[in-house]
Amino acid sequence: MSATDQQPAEHPLMGAVRQYGGDPVDLPFWEACAQGSFLLHQCGQCGRHYWPASRCIEHGDAAMSWVAASGRGEVYTYTVMHRAYTPDTRDKVPFVIAVVRLEEGPFYHSNIVDCPHDAVAVGMPLEVVMQPHPSGLTIPQFRPRGD
Amino acid sequence: MTGSGCAIVGLGVTEQGVGLGLEGRELRTRAVDLALADAGLPRDAIDGYIRAYVDREDLRYMGLSPNFSVSMMTGGATPVFSIIAAAAMIEAGQAEVVACVYGEAQTAFATTGKQDIGSYGYGYPMLYGLLGAAATHAFHARRHMHLYGTTSEHLGAVAVTQRDYAVGRPGTLGYGKPLTLAEHQASPLITDPFRRYDCTRNTDGGVAVLVTSAERARNLLSDPVFVLGAGTGHNIANWHQGLVYENHDNIAPAKARAFGQAGMGIEDIDMAQLYDPFTISPLMQLEAFGVVAPGQGGPFYAEGGAGPDGAMPTNTGGGQLSAYYSTGFTGVAEAILQLRGAAGAGQLKRAETALVSGHGMNAGVQNTWAHACMILGRNPRAKGATS
Ligand SMILES: [Zn+2]
Repeated sequence: MSATDQQPAEHPLMGAVRQYGGDPVDLPFWEACAQGSFLLHQCGQCGRHYWPASRCIEHGDAAMSWVAASGRGEVYTYTVMHRAYTPDTRDKVPFVIAVVRLEEGPFYHSNIVDCPHDAVAVGMPLEVVMQPHPSGLTIPQFRPRGD
Repeated sequence: MTGSGCAIVGLGVTEQGVGLGLEGRELRTRAVDLALADAGLPRDAIDGYIRAYVDREDLRYMGLSPNFSVSMMTGGATPVFSIIAAAAMIEAGQAEVVACVYGEAQTAFATTGKQDIGSYGYGYPMLYGLLGAAATHAFHARRHMHLYGTTSEHLGAVAVTQRDYAVGRPGTLGYGKPLTLAEHQASPLITDPFRRYDCTRNTDGGVAVLVTSAERARNLLSDPVFVLGAGTGHNIANWHQGLVYENHDNIAPAKARAFGQAGMGIEDIDMAQLYDPFTISPLMQLEAFGVVAPGQGGPFYAEGGAGPDGAMPTNTGGGQLSAYYSTGFTGVAEAILQLRGAAGAGQLKRAETALVSGHGMNAGVQNTWAHACMILGRNPRAKGATS
């Protein structure tokens, strides 16, 4: 590449993704979040779901694609953060970070919102709700599901 | 591991504590000097150097001339892993005496607070405020509580057990400072279920060990400690199976290899020195190593099973929680002292064999760690042990 070659413009979400140690292969996920939908990465051979983007552990060379997911799951484990370790959570403590076991199988780390933190419990049914984040990304958060 | 195995012939432990005012390299240099003096070896005997973690300048400053220098980073598993690698280099004929070295001014680093958030390596969960090992280990603790009824008091029993060991050990954070279960319960929540006394605090300090062949160890004046077996396992395997939160580490393959090499079972082990950044860590490892059944770690601690007169004295110098944090070398150093009969007032009555573990390297959504363990002994490996 010569010095005069133009660099392709970077994807508008890439800076935020990179800031959090992410990878360009996850951009379709974050684009969909901004449109209000929750995707997972799926193996074209066995249908197993993954997040973030991964090769299938059984079919490593199978085609993977981003597919719409239910956005439903349950609390698998969690912690109530009584200290802020990141700049944008200083005015939020105490707050909950849960590992959500999605209906399709993968784990997803998220905050639990619309719920007192002492009401959070392992096994609590959840549904996704999209929220803007200071990074510019739209991030999936989860709230109790009444069904 | 083949042949007669390797031995640790030199141990150097610097002052350990908060705000020592020494740079990491100075701590490493002093640790190496202490290890050489302990082994009765000259400076030029070191012909291999493994640094936990990344190194560029140590050799010149220390005046060392080894054949190789390797930077090694697999989190808190690095110290045990470095000893395994040292043994492998010796058996590959590449060195006779390998220095495995750690030294960091952790508390000085913490005060700068200038690190870019992305460099911490916690990945997308940082979008949700997750940063730091306390939260990632809290996930294990909460899941364990859900599955087995483990309580905050059980975690407190780990903290109190280890503090009891440290109270009588000069140079530790807990020296002369007893901790009660009530004080543990009254300490503030950090990352629920962890309270302040469930968490290790960073300290400054250096540790170095010198590794050589078992044959050469016999001709040295120092008191050797023999590496009888070692193993590794990575928790990514449990992530792939959706079992990462039930498993603090992937101990099964590490345990099988280490005990197979040593020709031993857990019943042959006199003490455990297990990586313990948080109280849940030694509790879950004792279960995974088969000292107690899954879910019985909490009651085991509460009943004194990990104390000096218990079934498996564990983290007998106070561990990271109450002694000092020199990453996985905290447990390595304590095992060597105990096996040499040099643990002073904390000397165990029976100290022929020790199980030592390290774990580390948080990463991204997978919350996962490397694990390395080894079995150390006062006596060389018996002939006929499998390799
Ligand atoms: Zn597949």
